[in-house]
Order: sequence, then C-alpha cells, then structure tokens
Amino acid sequence: MNDATILKNILFRYANGDTGVLNDLYLTVKQGECILLCGGSGCGKTTVTRLLNGLIPHYYEGKLDGEVSVLGKSICDTAIEDLAGIVGSVFQNPRSQFFCVDTTAEIAFGCENMGLSETEIQRRIDNTVTDMQIQKLLGRSIFNLSGGEKQKIACAGVAAMLPELIVLDEPTSNLDLDAIDELREIIQKWKTHGKTIVIAEHRLGWLSGLCDRVIFMESGSISAEFTGEDFFSLQTDKLNSMGLRAIHTANNYLESRTGLTEIKPFNSSAVITLENFVYSYGKQDAVNIPKLEIPKGAVIAVVGHNGAGKSTFTKCLCGLQKRFKGTVSVDGKIYRSKDMMRLSYMVMQDVNHQLFAETVLEEVMIGADDSEQQTALDILEKLHIAEYKDRHPMSLSGGQKQRVAIASALMAGKKLLVFDEPTSGLDFSSMECTAELLRSLDKDITVLIVTHDMELIDRCCTHILHIEEGKI
Amino acid sequence: MAALFTADIENRGLVLDPRTKLFVMITLVIFALGGTGSDISAVRYGTIAVSILPVLLLMTARQYKKATVFGILYALIKSAEIFLVPNITGAELSIIGLCCLIFVRLMPGLIMGAYMLSSTTVSEFIAAMHRMHIPQQITIPMSVMFRFFPTVLEEFTAINTAMKMRDIRIGGKNAGKLVEYRLVPLMVCSVNIGSELSAAALTRGLGTKVRRTNICKIGFHIQDIAVLLLILTLYIFWILGMFGVMK
Repeated sequence: MNDATILKNILFRYANGDTGVLNDLYLTVKQGECILLCGGSGCGKTTVTRLLNGLIPHYYEGKLDGEVSVLGKSICDTAIEDLAGIVGSVFQNPRSQFFCVDTTAEIAFGCENMGLSETEIQRRIDNTVTDMQIQKLLGRSIFNLSGGEKQKIACAGVAAMLPELIVLDEPTSNLDLDAIDELREIIQKWKTHGKTIVIAEHRLGWLSGLCDRVIFMESGSISAEFTGEDFFSLQTDKLNSMGLRAIHTANNYLESRTGLTEIKPFNSSAVITLENFVYSYGKQDAVNIPKLEIPKGAVIAVVGHNGAGKSTFTKCLCGLQKRFKGTVSVDGKIYRSKDMMRLSYMVMQDVNHQLFAETVLEEVMIGADDSEQQTALDILEKLHIAEYKDRHPMSLSGGQKQRVAIASALMAGKKLLVFDEPTSGLDFSSMECTAELLRSLDKDITVLIVTHDMELIDRCCTHILHIEEGKI
Repeated sequence: MAALFTADIENRGLVLDPRTKLFVMITLVIFALGGTGSDISAVRYGTIAVSILPVLLLMTARQYKKATVFGILYALIKSAEIFLVPNITGAELSIIGLCCLIFVRLMPGLIMGAYMLSSTTVSEFIAAMHRMHIPQQITIPMSVMFRFFPTVLEEFTAINTAMKMRDIRIGGKNAGKLVEYRLVPLMVCSVNIGSELSAAALTRGLGTKVRRTNICKIGFHIQDIAVLLLILTLYIFWILGMFGVMK
C-alpha cells in the first residue's frame, strides 16, 4: 500500500512561541489507515493536524524544518486552496466552521469553491446525504441545530468534497454520548470507503475498535506507538499515568442513567430548595421541576442529552432567564429570580466572555472595596494563581482563566457556583486539576456542573441530577 | 435573532429574486427619498403605491407583526402630511412638517431594507451578485462578514450575561469602565472566531483560482414580474410626465 502522508524529521515552532512545538517528528500514514493522535495538552497533536491540512505553514506562521508530503504533494509547495479537494478537515468548535446559514448551502460550500458543475454538486450532496442519513437536516437553519447536528453537517460538507484524507481535530469536545456514537458511525463508513483518517482527540472511549494505529505524543515527538487492539486493551490506570483519559467510560454513563437518578432524602437543615422551576419557550416546556432539594456544600453533576433542558435549568438558577417565576430558598431565606443573580454565579464554557479587567487582581476586585485587597490575595493564593496577579487575564491558559473566574465568584460571596462544561477539551491532568479544585472548595459553597464528562463526575461529584425533557 | 441575512428558509412564504428586491430599493430611493418627479400627480400617486409595496412584501414573508406596525406608522405619517400639514402654521408647521417630511421619505426605504435583510439568505445574495458580474474580491469578504455578524451578536449576549452576574451595570461602582469591560472580551472572542473561521474557510478551498459555482437557484418568476411591472409603470409615468403627456 502507498503511503498517504509522510512527515519526515519535522521541527516546528510558532512565530510567537519560544520553544519548539514539534521536535524531530517522524510519521507515515498508509493509505486507508485510521490513526489516532493522543497525548496531553500542548503535546503537538493539533499542530500535526494543521500540518496535514496545510494551515501550517500557509496560515499559522512559524519556522518549519523537515519535509511534509500529503498524497505525493509537498505541503510547502502546494497552495492551501489546492489541498482543499484532497484533504478535508473537521474542527473542534462548531461555532466557527460554518459559512452559510442554511445546511444545504453549507454542504455545497466546499464543492462550489472547487468550481464543480451544478449537477455534479447536486449529485454529491444527494450521495452524501443518503450515505450519512441526514435527510431531515437539509434546508434547515444552522442556528437551530444542536451541537451534534452541526458536527454532522460539518462532516457532510467535508465528505461531499470527496477528499482522500480526512483530519479531525477534537471533533467530540462539545458532543453528548449519543452524538458521539453517530459520529463514530460516520467515521466507520469513511473507513470502509478506504479514506485515510487522522484524528486528534482527548476523549478516547468512542474510538475503540475504529483506529488501526494509535500514536502517543509527548512534547512534540512520538513517544509510543500502539496497534489499535493493544491500545484499547490498556488499563485505565496505565492510561492515566500517561496523562490520557480513560477508555472505558461509556459503561459508567449507563449506570448513572439507570441507578443514580432517584433523589435521596437529605438532612433538611442544610438544603437549598428550588421550587416551581417551570420555564417554557413559547408553547414547549423547557424546564418543569415543581420542587427539588439540593444538599448544601455538595458537588452536583447535571447530566442529560443535548437539548434536554440542562442549560435552561442552570440559567434559571442563576437568575438569567426573564419571566421566570421560581424561587430558591437557602437557610429559610427565599430568593426570587432577581436576587438569585446575587446568590449564584456561572462559569461559562468559554471563560473569555467573563474576564473583563486588565490584571487578574483587578478582575477579582471588581465590585469590591479597596480595603478587601488582602482577602482577594488570599483567594488567589488558595487557587494557586497568586503569582499571576499582575498578568492580563486573557494571556493565561484556559485552566488558569477558569480559576480567575472562580476567584472572582468567591470574592463576590457567591454561594452557588454553576459550571458549564468545565472540562471540554481538557486532557487528563487538567481534568484532574479541575476535579481537585472543585473538591477543595469551601463547605458552604454548592457546586453544580453541567457536563458530559463521566470521568469528572466520577472524581468529584457527590450527587447526580439527570434531566431529560425538562424533567428530573 | 435580529441578524442580517439570516432568513428562516423553512418558513418564509413568497420568494422574490434578490435582484428584484434591489431594484425596488433603488426605485424607492429615487422616488420616495429623492422626491423625483413629485410635480407630476401620476408619479405622486405611483410613489405612494410603491411605498406601500414593502409592507405588502413583509406580509408575504409572513412577518405580520412587523408589517402591521410599519404599515400603520406609515399610514399615520402620510395622512398627517396630506391632511394636517396644509392646515397649520408657525412653529407647529416647521416641527410637524419637518418630521413628516423626513419620515415619509425615509420610511419606505427602511421598511424595504428590513424586508431585504430578513428575507434573503447569504447564498442567494452571493448568487445574485455573481449574476450581476460583481467580482469575487468583493462578494467573498462580504459573505464572510454576513456570517460573522450573528456570531459577534451571540458573543455580545454572552458577555452581557456574564456582566450581569458580576453586577457590573450602569449606576454600579464600575460604570466608568462599562465600555472597556464589554469591548475587551468581545474583541478577544471575535478575533479568535474570525481566525478560526478563516482557517476553516481555507481548508475548504475558499479563494481558489477556479471559477466558483453556486447551486443556489435564483431567477425571475411570476411574482418578480408582477413587482417589476408595477415599478416600471412608475418610471413610465415619470418619463411621460417629463414630456408633458401626463400631469
């Protein structure tokens, strides 16, 4: 069999970075092979995918040594637009990979760029759509799709261009388990069509039995190589010691789906009672929870499928949803919708949205008196970010930003913290850190985590709240 | 979401060719805003008819609420101009007269604009530009821009929410920094999304030298012809009026 891609002795450094991202990497991928790239954050997985689709060196600038060839073409000498027809890419964030507002046009987009004839494009769309069974998604508006549906459209758009090599960079980080299963089927299909597939991913469980070869990367070079079978029979602790996430998580979810959904009676002196949590968009009830008791100081995982009403529930809890009538009572004191905003704080999935100030210290001090500076410093110390107090929050890494957001919530005296997908796209060690952090928070702070990440739930949650169709 | 070019293609009623809409727009600018040919009575009545057209178009696009509000507002102001303005004098005349003048001229164009933006998809728009032989160097940046606006709007809402939770608001302690606190995260997020968006665009071949095809089917149908005929009548009145055939 021919080699689909060859990466020879690659040294790469981003234009604004000091150290090399890739050090002497050597990788060949055979035609029709399915390869998984894994490793901790910053090991260079994403950089490899960018080399394959030509974004490096054509879009992200940096210093590149070595030789990259994809399907017999040298990447450096081929314009990125010309690679488009042979290398297809699916990215992590569904928000930023669409151009058109309707799905049909989106699938056609790549083909239109290749200048194919209208009948040919129509034929390809039809083929792709029947192949992936997404007839019901055609002609819809992108803004009304769920994360999983968006990712399917992205795959369809790539597949319609009939590329030889398909590169996926963390395609599942925003998906629930059902959507991941469907993505798996799509990749399975591509495999039978003989396409070469390269996937960079943190979540490993869904790829079991799909990948022929697993490349484990560490600080920019390959430190181990497994066949698919060997790799997926590794034990969880072995994987964790390599800084990887567990493979066998799907079973955990099934347990939680059936076993832990009932709510045990709590010691009534220390509960937060939510009452009359009913909210609807138009005619449809999004959330319908007449009464719910949460133990104070608990770490609660909120699980459920995409669109089950989890985020509406948390929005109500944070007092962000207008026209919402429910109440929350803590220690016998009743908070209405507006006061809830003072009680609770949400750490959003994209933390960038909630960091405003110029330095970390200033960020934490927003809304506080200058006399409280020592308290602020103590909080920063506790969260291990005191050394960054004069840095700009935006210059920190994702995990550190998250800590800054938590620090400012603690500073404002919030009693209820809500996290929206805190670990999406995190590797094992960062996930471990987040879990550690959540466990270490004070006893009088209650934490709710909206997540699909079963490992995180395993590590730090005391209770699980399962929401389906707006009900518990 | 009140964003540009995000037509709800699942439910939008009558579809007009983007070029027809553009032509109606130009006509409105010439006659309603510019007041061309207002000395000819046939053109005057014709202009009123064409000015009501955008409201009817909004109706066909099933945007009844918007159409009703705009329609009533326009009717009120137009009737004020016809019946009230000739009967008042002095300060009242200058204030009311000026308001009527401005709104009567601007409103039809604005309503038409609202209709155009809410009833056209980006791909239709690009296809129409393509048919009018406008070069890709102009249409591609525009198409990316239209895609970008709703996203920025989404980001903006998220940031607002975050600010509410932190109790940063007008009247609070940090009122002075309100703008800064809003713009910095917005800019960071927009730059990130923008660069990811262009990276994704490049990997899907935007900007190749090959001539781009467009599968979006646009074309003139019976409804376009009806609208165009109505507008052409207005132009004919005007030309006839200039030669003194009509008054």
